[in-house]
Amino acid sequence: MTRLLGVALGILTAIGGFLDIGDIVTNAVVGARFGLSLAWVVVLGVIGICLFAQMSGRVAAVSGRATFEIIRERLGARVALANLVASFLVTLLTLTAEVGGIALALQLASAVEPRLWMPVAAFAVWLVIWRTGFKPMENVTGLLGLCLVVFAVALVQLGPDWSALIRDAVTPSVPAAEHPATYWFYAVALFGAAMTPYEVFFFSSGAVEERWTTKDIAQSRADVLVGFPLGGILSVAIAGCAAVVLLPAGIEVTSLSHVALPVATAGGLLAVAVLLVGLVAATFGAALETALSSGYMVAQYLGWSWGKFRRPAQAARFHLTVIVAIVVGLGVLMTGVDPIKVTEYSVVFSAVALPLTYLPILVVSNDPQYMGDKVNGPVVNALGQVFLVVVVAASLAAIPLLLLTGAGS
Amino acid sequence: MTARRRPRRQPADAGYPPDESVGGRLVDARAHLLDRQVHDVDGVPVTAVDDLELVEGRAGAAPTVAALLSGSILNTRLLGGHQPEPRWGRIPWSSVAKVGVVIELSVRGEDLDVTWTERWLREHLIGRIPGGQHDPE
Repeated sequence: MTRLLGVALGILTAIGGFLDIGDIVTNAVVGARFGLSLAWVVVLGVIGICLFAQMSGRVAAVSGRATFEIIRERLGARVALANLVASFLVTLLTLTAEVGGIALALQLASAVEPRLWMPVAAFAVWLVIWRTGFKPMENVTGLLGLCLVVFAVALVQLGPDWSALIRDAVTPSVPAAEHPATYWFYAVALFGAAMTPYEVFFFSSGAVEERWTTKDIAQSRADVLVGFPLGGILSVAIAGCAAVVLLPAGIEVTSLSHVALPVATAGGLLAVAVLLVGLVAATFGAALETALSSGYMVAQYLGWSWGKFRRPAQAARFHLTVIVAIVVGLGVLMTGVDPIKVTEYSVVFSAVALPLTYLPILVVSNDPQYMGDKVNGPVVNALGQVFLVVVVAASLAAIPLLLLTGAGS
Repeated sequence: MTARRRPRRQPADAGYPPDESVGGRLVDARAHLLDRQVHDVDGVPVTAVDDLELVEGRAGAAPTVAALLSGSILNTRLLGGHQPEPRWGRIPWSSVAKVGVVIELSVRGEDLDVTWTERWLREHLIGRIPGGQHDPE
């Protein structure tokens, strides 16, 4: 019975923790411009993140080693340092976007200017990292994040023409009003949003934090293989809501209130209240994960002691790195940049950085020295190699498409 | 005389037979030592191996490892220069208990020079912030 509850809790937090500001904003932007014609990218991204999260979790469970220690051992100091710098900057950008996202969600709830919320949000993120254990932190933000199910409920309540939506999703085509380059730019952005690199660092380091052993592999596989696809359905529901309400009205998503508009239309005040709880929980949870990830990767590269299972004083350099990352992210936000714009750039640069994370994991999960007899099976390997091609293609295409389309405008 | 030079890649003999000429174990410095994570006797991470201090072997014999070094790798491994001796943190080879996927030491990391930044930050900053000495809840 407790085992069953554990599995259920794991799956629920995986669903609730799946979405972050990048998924929410990008799906709404895409839905409002392209309908569901990019839903296939979400499906692709979900398969990819399932594959690699499961792989990195298995590596951590079997070898007790987190991703960045292994990246350095396998790639050597020089290449791994270049990898660290790139991954750290992308994660910092994502952290900035998430903290901005908390502030925007709180602004919607309170009508208080986001720049007043930003320091509060950043301080709260640090305080939770400083004081709360790993498990409660994950469970609370994950379960509250489930409030985002309201997007799926709203979509049903809106009573859309389902056959048209499904036709749009299964026979994708570039809408007449849009340039093909813009379509592909958003495809890359959506892919980056679904497969953000920090998720892999966080997942593998979290496995070490929770002291997974080979016994936990089955549970983690269930969490990932059930939780992430259901989270992906919520992603598509966000795009669907935008496609039904915003697309016909010609509204472009430039703020979080646009994202909330379809939910307000469908369910009124109560639905919006639920949505706000979900938005705060999802962005807060992702801010915690990105802040921790920036500490994890630096500490693991340099071999420092790290982790929330230690007292902060026993992982002093790790905690200082986390604090510095949060302060830098807050500093960027306080200059007055638009958090929505930061989010849009963060998902594109996530796509650029993807191969840096995924190639080493694929290599190590096939290395018997680390994995013993728990190396990848042939099916996982075949899928992994197909995805490596996709990931590299998205990474190479991202910057040219960004410049060509003027960031999708 | 100590040498800062890294040995050329050893042939990848399976099992690394003991090298009679030096009376020790033969390891591939690049594959098994450099960039490995070092754990202390309690399993606490200490550092990653940034470089090695080697002692030239007798004529024909392989050089032996005198110490694991930790320090800024920017101007040595990345830019290819030298670093003044005092700037390296040394872990003498006699403290190494086991070379595996991680390198395990037979001493506590707390007592080693290489962790001074950790101790300094703990005493002057992180340990002084309220809650810094408590277990997370």
